Amino acid sequence: MGIYHSIYKYIRIDCVLYSGEKAVMTTILQVTGLTKQFAEHKAVDDVHFILEEKTSTALIGPNGAGKTTTLSMLTGLLKPTAGSVKMLNGDLRTNIGFLPQYPQFYPWLSALEFTEMAARLNGVTAKNAKLEAQKTLEFVGLGNAQHKKIATFSGGMKQRLGISQAIVHKPKLLLLDEPVSALDPVGRREVLDLLKGLQQETTILYSTHILNDAEEMTDQLLFLQNGKLVEQGTLREVRQRFDEQNYVVEFSNEQEAKLFASSSEQVIGCYVYIEIVNEEPTMKELLQRLSGCPYTIRKVERQTASLEEIFMKVAKKA
Amino acid sequence: MRGFNVLLQKEFKEAWRSWKFLWIPLVFALLGMSDPLTNYYMMDILNAVGNVPEGFEMLMPELMPVDLLQASIGQFQTIGLLVMMATFVGVISKERASGMATLLYVRPISFGAYFMSKFIVMSTVSFVSIFAGFAASVYYTSILYGTLEIGSLLVSFCTYYIWLLFVIAVTLMMSASFKTIIATTCAFTVIFVGQIVDMIVGLFWTISPWKLANYGTLLVRGTMEMSDYWWSLTITIALTILCICIGIIMMKRNAAMAKI
Repeated sequence: MGIYHSIYKYIRIDCVLYSGEKAVMTTILQVTGLTKQFAEHKAVDDVHFILEEKTSTALIGPNGAGKTTTLSMLTGLLKPTAGSVKMLNGDLRTNIGFLPQYPQFYPWLSALEFTEMAARLNGVTAKNAKLEAQKTLEFVGLGNAQHKKIATFSGGMKQRLGISQAIVHKPKLLLLDEPVSALDPVGRREVLDLLKGLQQETTILYSTHILNDAEEMTDQLLFLQNGKLVEQGTLREVRQRFDEQNYVVEFSNEQEAKLFASSSEQVIGCYVYIEIVNEEPTMKELLQRLSGCPYTIRKVERQTASLEEIFMKVAKKA
Repeated sequence: MRGFNVLLQKEFKEAWRSWKFLWIPLVFALLGMSDPLTNYYMMDILNAVGNVPEGFEMLMPELMPVDLLQASIGQFQTIGLLVMMATFVGVISKERASGMATLLYVRPISFGAYFMSKFIVMSTVSFVSIFAGFAASVYYTSILYGTLEIGSLLVSFCTYYIWLLFVIAVTLMMSASFKTIIATTCAFTVIFVGQIVDMIVGLFWTISPWKLANYGTLLVRGTMEMSDYWWSLTITIALTILCICIGIIMMKRNAAMAKI
């Protein structure tokens, strides 16, 4: 019973992954041949990608990979040397919200004044701006601090305020540059939870080098290295390309594991590692094989590499 | 000029909350009152300070009210301008370097609106400041020396204000074009070296923005050659507009320098 429970748990996860992919997608942003050259150095080199509506995309890469330069070009702060950024349903500047890595605010303004100003600058009427700002500050958890001067805010509060100023006008596309890398674990968790809440509302493109975050809230991955987009796709697609997956079966002792394993399967201690190649053997085949097994099976797991391991492989390949 | 009203409100709020509307006018008021008072009480000050040899006599020139106004404007031209330019020279470059401007630049605002909102607030602070300076100077001058004719005084005030608008436009243009240190050097060079050059070899020309402050007092004296005045005024206004235009272009061009 325990074995089946374990196996079905993994089958269920797989099904959720498949059905979780949205059936009908609308492209919101098209980036074509984006290039930025600084003197001799090519910071971003011929990057192409599209963003689908209400998806979350992680721009991953080591420091200096070109993530911030890419985001700067998407915001319009930096002019590309070549290539184009096209928002398919409207003007880019009016439809984006942007949070820099270290957002800086006017310390003499209150959180409400700043968010209200952000809303009005994005075209929200003066009448609605205050109301929207209050609602947004409540959403990011700064409702009680809305009248406090920003000068008194902690790093976590500033990051929340940064999110609030980026979403107050309900942008179609939210661009976030390393949204949690400067925060302590508690602040990081709070901001990640906030962003997960936003995933249903808007399209998110965020850069990060913290791969756990990307693994947690990502529909699409863009791997940047030395300015080049070296890999892209959904988490599942990238996993399929780079992941060596195994079923791991744990027996009560090493001898039983050796007796169970075929010649092509690796045995380490009481564990048998059955490699999955092109989804073979399937879970059903493994279950059939296990049901005829006379030994004590303690655990069955489908083992997948972490995003960090995949990232290292991608980096090595590039 | 998208976002102009919002940005203007923000700039006014900043100037108000950083006490610029109080302390800069206070500096100008102190500068304005210092000449009438020190000149009038010079002997008393010297006696009070001591170390004056016995039998020492000093022949004090008989000052006219307009001389004291000129002296006050001289103070504004040195310490006043120094204070004002030092306060305003980083308003664009520092915001860009600190990253505060980033959250504005990514919004659909016009750079013209942003530049003009800063220019207008700085002009207002300057107006209040020189008003305080002129008022203090004229008040003590009229009590201690005699009154000035109000019409020519107003013309002198407006002329000096137009010169100050030029100074602000140069300062802001430099701030939009360069990093703070370079902007400070360039703005101070243009304004102060310009004044020195005009003082040393300015006899060879009569039309220049740098002469405008002096022309203001000549108007009060009634000894002004009006065609020189009008030409200088026109050129100053034209250069102010040019500096504003260049400033807006440079602000837009340097938006990428904003820290992310």
